[in-house]
Amino acid sequence: MPAVLYHCACSSAAMRHPEPAHSLEMPGGDGNKNTGSCSVLVSPVDDPQLPSFALRVSPLESLYYCDHCSSVRCTRCVVEEPAGYHCPNCLFDVPTASVRSEKNSCARNCFHCPQCTHVLSVVEEPSDSSGGADEGGEQHLPFSLSCSLCCWSSREIGWCFEKATGISAHVERLRAASDRTKEHAALLDHWRSVQRASASSSSSASAIHSAAAFKHRLAAAASKDTGVPEYRSPTSAAAVGDAERAQMAELMSLENADCLSRPDLLPQRIRLHMKLARRCRECHHILIKPVPKAQATQFKIQLMAANFLPAITLPTRLSLKHPPLPPPGPFVVDRVAPVVLRFANPLYTEMTVRVHQAPASSTQVHLDLPTLSFTLPPFTELWEYDEDEDEDISSSNLAGTPDQSAVVDRHANRVAIQIAVTPLAPAPNLTVPLHITCTHFDDFDAEKDSNSSAAAAAAASTQSPGRTVTNSFWVYLLLGPAH
Amino acid sequence: MCLLLIAPRALVCKNTTIEGDVQIGNGTVVHVGASIIAKNGPIIIGANNIINERAVITNIHSTPLAIGDDNLIETDAVVEGRGMGHRNTVQVRGRIAGSSTLGNNCVVGVMCSTGPAESISDNTVLFGSMQSRRIRADAQAELTAAHRKHLEYIHEMLPRYNHIIEAE
Repeated sequence: MPAVLYHCACSSAAMRHPEPAHSLEMPGGDGNKNTGSCSVLVSPVDDPQLPSFALRVSPLESLYYCDHCSSVRCTRCVVEEPAGYHCPNCLFDVPTASVRSEKNSCARNCFHCPQCTHVLSVVEEPSDSSGGADEGGEQHLPFSLSCSLCCWSSREIGWCFEKATGISAHVERLRAASDRTKEHAALLDHWRSVQRASASSSSSASAIHSAAAFKHRLAAAASKDTGVPEYRSPTSAAAVGDAERAQMAELMSLENADCLSRPDLLPQRIRLHMKLARRCRECHHILIKPVPKAQATQFKIQLMAANFLPAITLPTRLSLKHPPLPPPGPFVVDRVAPVVLRFANPLYTEMTVRVHQAPASSTQVHLDLPTLSFTLPPFTELWEYDEDEDEDISSSNLAGTPDQSAVVDRHANRVAIQIAVTPLAPAPNLTVPLHITCTHFDDFDAEKDSNSSAAAAAAASTQSPGRTVTNSFWVYLLLGPAH
Repeated sequence: MCLLLIAPRALVCKNTTIEGDVQIGNGTVVHVGASIIAKNGPIIIGANNIINERAVITNIHSTPLAIGDDNLIETDAVVEGRGMGHRNTVQVRGRIAGSSTLGNNCVVGVMCSTGPAESISDNTVLFGSMQSRRIRADAQAELTAAHRKHLEYIHEMLPRYNHIIEAE
């Protein structure tokens, strides 16, 4: 499938090419500079054949845009932080302060079934039934947890409750009183003291944190040739013998052990889910901020790149008046094939777009494309309703635009250009890098933004109350196989 | 020679498909769109069962297909087999296939199916996409209470909005 992917400058800046990434910003620094800046363009240097190529490019929808730094941000150059915790089952918003004390689990009545992992529900057994009489002289406890899928009931393990609320706290009390929990706490204390002792004696004690090291230690404990002090179990019932140690070591070495069908498993409290906020890694401004309530699906702040950068697509049809376009290709080495690209302006202000091609040495294709510059009209909702106005606009705009030969269609806030692609070598997925520079005038919140260092230069150059924002980035056209 | 016997307190809607020798016991409810087809042997349905919309009960054997009391056969379920005991639930799109039989207190879960010729023992639960099975331990007291309430509600509401076949 042909696709258009956007390149985030962070990957080349951080990982491979600090200087080229800096020079990529240069043509964007001055909105009036023209084709001369092409000389400072360095090739995108991301070889599409490399497996890591897929990590450095993304579709426009998954990119963010920091309007403070005026740059694209991908998932790797944002900082994530929790914006709220909630239970996925009961959708209760858990305060951040109590998440740790609740062990990251829901503190109400949300449990997973130990047999089928379905959600358990609280059921009440009628007191006049025969079930209540079984308990004899004891107090009748009518509530229990029940699975509607596999009909498991917590009465099988003796869990009955007096009230339908606060079952989680009750279960925690039951669990804390059990031998297993005591044994686990004692083991934790024991191994922590061992770790402290070994950390003071040797410097390479950090390996104890890994599961492999723990397994190794357990195996060593099973074979009894250990240098650590002997562990004494506080509970006689939970004390494990040598045979059980060996069995445990064997169990831990199994991958994907099927333990779901074991009858002695207990219901687990449902883990909390977290909503994430995302910040720019450079300036720490918030890019994504969800409404913290669990039921809400809205965002308070949502700076997506699709709202700031022109959307570039490979259209199948220019408009209803035109016949459908053939899909791009087939691409044959040394034969020219036309490719139509469509740019759409998401902003309410006019946008100037310049398209550069990569230096010929670094790509697998030859492009018949002079440095192309055109204007994208602003986005207006009204465009969706008029059908016959675009003729006048296209003719008037085309007249004043240089390099108009490549522009094949204008409609509303969209401009389609045609480029001629000549593959130079066979490729499984022909990739065409294009450098896009788009400039628009932003008159929104000018005073606040002009304080920042990034916007100050742009604002000073234009000497106007707003600021001129320039974005430059690479896009990759993935066009399919070339033979 | 077709023989349809409906007990006096049974509720059988008119828009159902009933063919062959069928007996429907007291208190049993057959919803609109259900099919009860006795191709060879008769079908004998006990008391207080609920047979939901689009459920299909077919007897392809020459022996009678006996369904006990207090069973719930949900929407789109298919009952072939040779019969079932009491207090079973065949959930939505569940299937008792071939010549299988069901004991008492069993649950055939959503989209679950028995084997072609199985005898499912009492208290078995078939559930999940892996067709897992387990034996339930609870006495099902609350489920029978819920079933009774369900029946009471249907007996009150169903005749108001549907045409009922009068018992003879």
